[in-house]
Amino acid sequence: MSEKLKEIINKQGAQQESGLDQTDNVVQLVGFVIGDEEYAVPILAIQEIIKPFEWTRVPQVPKYVLGVFNLRGAVIPLIDLRAKFHLQSKKHSEDTRFIVMRHGDDVAGFVIDRLTMAIRIKKENIGPAPDTVNGDDTIIDGVGKQQDKIITILKVNKLLERDF
Amino acid sequence: MDEFQEILQDFLVESFELVEKLDEDLVELENNPTDLDLLNGIFRVAHTVKGASSFLNFDILTHLTHHMEDVLNKARHGDLVITPDIMDVVLESIDLMKALLETIRDTSADAGIDVSGCVARLDKVSGGDGNVESPVSEEVALEEPEEVVEESQDEPDYDNMDDSEIEDEIERLLQQRQAEDKAKREAKIAAGEKVLAAPPEVDAKEEEKPAPKEEVKATPKPAPAPTPAPVKEDHEEDFGDDPKAAAPAKRAPATVEQTIRVDVKRLDHLMNLIGELVLAKNRLMKINEEVEERYEGEEFLEELNQVVSIVSLVTTDLQIAVMKTRMLPIGKVFNKFPRMIRDLSRELNKKIELVLAGEDTELDKSIVEEIGDPLVHIIRNSCDHGIETPADRAAKGKDENGTIGLKAYNEGNQIVIQIDDDGKGLDADMLRKKSLEKGIISEKEADNMSDKEAFTLIFKPGFSTAASVTSVSGRGVGMDVVKTNIEKLNGIIDIDSEMDVGTSMKLKIPLTLAIIQALLVGVQEEYYAIPLASVLETVRISRDEIYTVEGRSVMRLRDDVLSLVHIGDIFEVERILDASDHAYVVVLGLGTSKIGLIVDTLVGQEEIVIKSLGDYLKGIDGIAGATIRGDGGVTLIVDVVALMQMAKDVKATTMIEASAEGSAAVAEKKKASDYTIMIVDDSKTDRTIMRKSLEPMGVTLIEAADGQEALNVLKAGEHSFDAMLIDIEMPRMDGYSLASEIKKYNKYKNLPLIAVTSRTGKSDRMRGVESGMVEYITKPYSADYLASVVQRNVNFKAEFL
Repeated sequence: MSEKLKEIINKQGAQQESGLDQTDNVVQLVGFVIGDEEYAVPILAIQEIIKPFEWTRVPQVPKYVLGVFNLRGAVIPLIDLRAKFHLQSKKHSEDTRFIVMRHGDDVAGFVIDRLTMAIRIKKENIGPAPDTVNGDDTIIDGVGKQQDKIITILKVNKLLERDF
Repeated sequence: MDEFQEILQDFLVESFELVEKLDEDLVELENNPTDLDLLNGIFRVAHTVKGASSFLNFDILTHLTHHMEDVLNKARHGDLVITPDIMDVVLESIDLMKALLETIRDTSADAGIDVSGCVARLDKVSGGDGNVESPVSEEVALEEPEEVVEESQDEPDYDNMDDSEIEDEIERLLQQRQAEDKAKREAKIAAGEKVLAAPPEVDAKEEEKPAPKEEVKATPKPAPAPTPAPVKEDHEEDFGDDPKAAAPAKRAPATVEQTIRVDVKRLDHLMNLIGELVLAKNRLMKINEEVEERYEGEEFLEELNQVVSIVSLVTTDLQIAVMKTRMLPIGKVFNKFPRMIRDLSRELNKKIELVLAGEDTELDKSIVEEIGDPLVHIIRNSCDHGIETPADRAAKGKDENGTIGLKAYNEGNQIVIQIDDDGKGLDADMLRKKSLEKGIISEKEADNMSDKEAFTLIFKPGFSTAASVTSVSGRGVGMDVVKTNIEKLNGIIDIDSEMDVGTSMKLKIPLTLAIIQALLVGVQEEYYAIPLASVLETVRISRDEIYTVEGRSVMRLRDDVLSLVHIGDIFEVERILDASDHAYVVVLGLGTSKIGLIVDTLVGQEEIVIKSLGDYLKGIDGIAGATIRGDGGVTLIVDVVALMQMAKDVKATTMIEASAEGSAAVAEKKKASDYTIMIVDDSKTDRTIMRKSLEPMGVTLIEAADGQEALNVLKAGEHSFDAMLIDIEMPRMDGYSLASEIKKYNKYKNLPLIAVTSRTGKSDRMRGVESGMVEYITKPYSADYLASVVQRNVNFKAEFL
């Protein structure tokens, strides 16, 4: 038993050490799924993640803006990322979450299909956005390469930018 | 340096306040050139500004105010009579003074403004009287502002004193003053207040004075030093913290008002917090209601009730109290008008008198700031277009002096500002003609326009009745600005006029902007809040009272024809629920226009806190903001201004046809499985029995375990159902309720609902029919019977069998 404990402690220690020298070139992200793709945003841009609840429709906005909801007294817009990415809308399920993201003073909630995990990824493993998506207009910040998959990293400021 | 900044700030705030009052006093002075109180008051302002500015080394300002002081001092002693020409010079100097103060505010220096011309004129005015400035008057000038006591008591004596007597007097006063100052300082030290040390700069103050005698008294005189200090305590009365000095001054109120300066940002923050509290209160009250329902008769309820009502009462009081701290008397805005009228009447060669009333009426600071411009435009308009020239007036048999009345008063939750003139009035026909010429309205519109509607034409952009553009008005911008600004404040403009008698304009403005009373209305499953200030009335109408004229819906409201628009058309509300035979019309009034807004339900009046939708959603047409309701949900607030604009583009409301659509568009059935039937029963066994009975038909079957679930499945819209088999006894929502809920929806009006139940009573059957069931099958039943009933109801095609 004590051996096992030692092992664990050693492991943790090793992790911490490796964590230390990585702080500079490691990005922490939160991954989520929309449709079939996995996306991620920097963890620091996320204010909170909540379970879906009632919102109020707002007229004269694109379909992907579902409306506004009350987050502890603040009125916050709610954006459906499925609709924004031109995917067919889907009923909210058990896994559906609202991710509340913040960039400066801009705050909005985003509906995602499912959360995956917090990801630590080395900067050198993040490639630029594919050439086909052009210039500053893209909401893709880069592409993170994991062992078995790639994750699209989104620009939070672009997500929070009004484009209608 | 910080201390200097602090003093500078105080100096600016004080000076601006003084100057604002000055304008009014000066005009008053012109009418009453010998009013000593007024003269003293004005002189004091010039002097205070001079004193402080010299202390702060603003030489140009000191130079200017010094000469103003000279002129005023002469006038005060009766050596000079204020004529309109002299007044022009004085007013000019005051404008310069304002400009200088503004420069100081922006740059902390008073450079860049040339005052020499004005100073020369001032000098001429004071010098033209032939009097060389005597040191005596200088002495008085220096002493008086600090000590009003002397001014009113000792002043007349100075002229009769010889030099040595004056010396003695000065000595005596100085000693008295020093003693007082000392006492004051000590008191302050005792009170732990920061005291400004008597600064050596005092000399600067005296530098301008040519008389050698000044030096004698200047050195020991610490008098000016405390001047900036009292400012902090009291801005209304310069001498507020020195009751002894204030008492003899006739213009001072008997009781000294205790005031404290607070940063507006702090008040705004406080207001925001109160807003949150109001929301929480609404929520608490809602919860209390629910608890009351659920635990009826329980003892703790009474206690809870008490607490809730206390919280609600205190919150309301608190809200009012904080609102009051933000209130300013409208006199602050009115003050600038006497001067404006004076200038305008001289410029236009008209005789106009301004009568102010209700200057004490209080308004929220933000509104006071917004209301100034519109009033300027309206009053300029009245002077230019309203009031006739003296000759014209005489010809009409009117008094040569035109009168403009500016009055403010409270009316319910609103402030009314009324502007009356006794000028020539508005000519409705001429207005129609002009607007037609300028293409603002069509011929048809002109014909159908009532006089009152025609008056509102003056608010249209690009409209001007003036034959030529003068420096005063005629560009056709002003009144449009008025309308825009008043509407921005959720205000209403009411205009009335009679030819050759005059025009009366009423601006009705809500008291405050942050927390408002709103009417909550419902349309389909959504709710909207309409600011109550814009709601004139609500009426319940039946469908046949709505007429369509030229593709627009209208109704008759008493003697008027009111154009109607459905809120659902404006906010793109999906019509899912069946519309009833009756609807409510909310009559909205804004500025001068009216419109009827058709809504499905009226929920009631509620106090709401306006919250912005944030950058992402700002500027949505027709939405002014959002509020959080007692249940925690968000309700959008209607922007009445925008809504009225949008209403113009909406065609005749489709509410009448709305009911027709639902049943249409049923896809053709090509195979048995195209038929979809929902089974609603809380018993798994029963569901299975039904499934077994229907499966042989090959139809698609969907199951739900209770009414609520069934409703959700239905609403989700993933399947389009051809029939529903509904059990009556179910948890959460029973069969009857489910049936009535379903029948509320347009879409499902023709959806066959079949009750499958073990309840066999006649009354049960009756209830079933009432709630919209078409068949009533009692358990137990045979599989064939059930299948045949379903087949009959869904028009099952025989070829699939």
